[in-house]
Amino acid sequence: MSAERWKDDEVLLDRLRKGSPDAVNELLRLFQGKIFNLAMSILKNESDAEEATQDVFMTVVRKADTFKGNSALYSWMYRICVNTCLMRLRGKRRNETVSIEEFMPVFTEEGMHASPMDDWSKEVERKALNEELGQMIRKYTDQLSEKYKVVFVLSDVEGLSNEETAQILGLTVPAVKSRLHRARLYLREQLSRYLLEGKAG
Amino acid sequence: MLADYFDGSMNPRLREELDSHIAMCEPCMNFARTYRTTCDKTRELRADIEYQIPADVRSRLENFVLSAALKYPEMVREYRAQAERERVEKVAGLIRAAIAGKLSSITALLVESHCAICPECKGYFDGILGAGTAVPAVPPTVIHSHVTRLMESLPPGEEFFLA
Repeated sequence: MSAERWKDDEVLLDRLRKGSPDAVNELLRLFQGKIFNLAMSILKNESDAEEATQDVFMTVVRKADTFKGNSALYSWMYRICVNTCLMRLRGKRRNETVSIEEFMPVFTEEGMHASPMDDWSKEVERKALNEELGQMIRKYTDQLSEKYKVVFVLSDVEGLSNEETAQILGLTVPAVKSRLHRARLYLREQLSRYLLEGKAG
Repeated sequence: MLADYFDGSMNPRLREELDSHIAMCEPCMNFARTYRTTCDKTRELRADIEYQIPADVRSRLENFVLSAALKYPEMVREYRAQAERERVEKVAGLIRAAIAGKLSSITALLVESHCAICPECKGYFDGILGAGTAVPAVPPTVIHSHVTRLMESLPPGEEFFLA
């Protein structure tokens, strides 16, 4: 992002290339949490995510000298992580994911929302609900197919820009926007159901 | 289109129209509010949504990566040194074969045409042939690099000496 950050990346990479143990430690400290989280959200399995994280760090250490400074270090690492995880997923039985279409807003012929549209935005202001809500968001995110989930995790959870996410995944920005939007619609709908109906049940 | 509306990249005129519709339409207003809340909450609750790396995974990872990472440059150095030793050996072999007239025809042709345009290599080979001395184990750097390039231009698997 900032010039400073790029310079920091460069310094860290340079130390990595020279095989400095401190640099490896620093890399782990900065990224192991993020990489593990991303791997978990794609693979949904702790031991797979652990192996994938290991692979990612080994790749980064090995390829430190081929890294071109035209993207930030974290976006390079995310890209390696996504590739590593998707490669692991391939060949494995596909995880069961829900059809996202069912959760898109439906309109009547008059252009009205077909299902009742309640406002629960005030509801979730209660702090007591936060922990539960966080878990729900995680649970619903896990139900998304990788296509939507990776975009959602990178953009909305990790807070990357649409451009960065597009670069990491090799997608166009409009494609990222559209997947992100659909993921959010799905999540919004699930949260609605949870907050409005789940109460009773 | 809604995606553009929510991330603020919608064209202003359209946006204004949509704004005024939403202000009057309760379901749409509720939709817009809950959509935004969904996004806001995701950001806010990021720490709960992210998977935390368990302590045992963390320590295994650190041990593994650190030990492997430290061994790696050592392995690379070792590999490069080995490759270099092999190259020196091969270059000396090629020069010996050239002097003894035991090059394969394709290599002989390459050496010959190279010597025709390279006074340094021609001088080197002529020098050894003329003096009739033994081939030094390590040729001068420039000769070494020319011969290396010659060898690299051979098709893979092609031996440079006569069987």
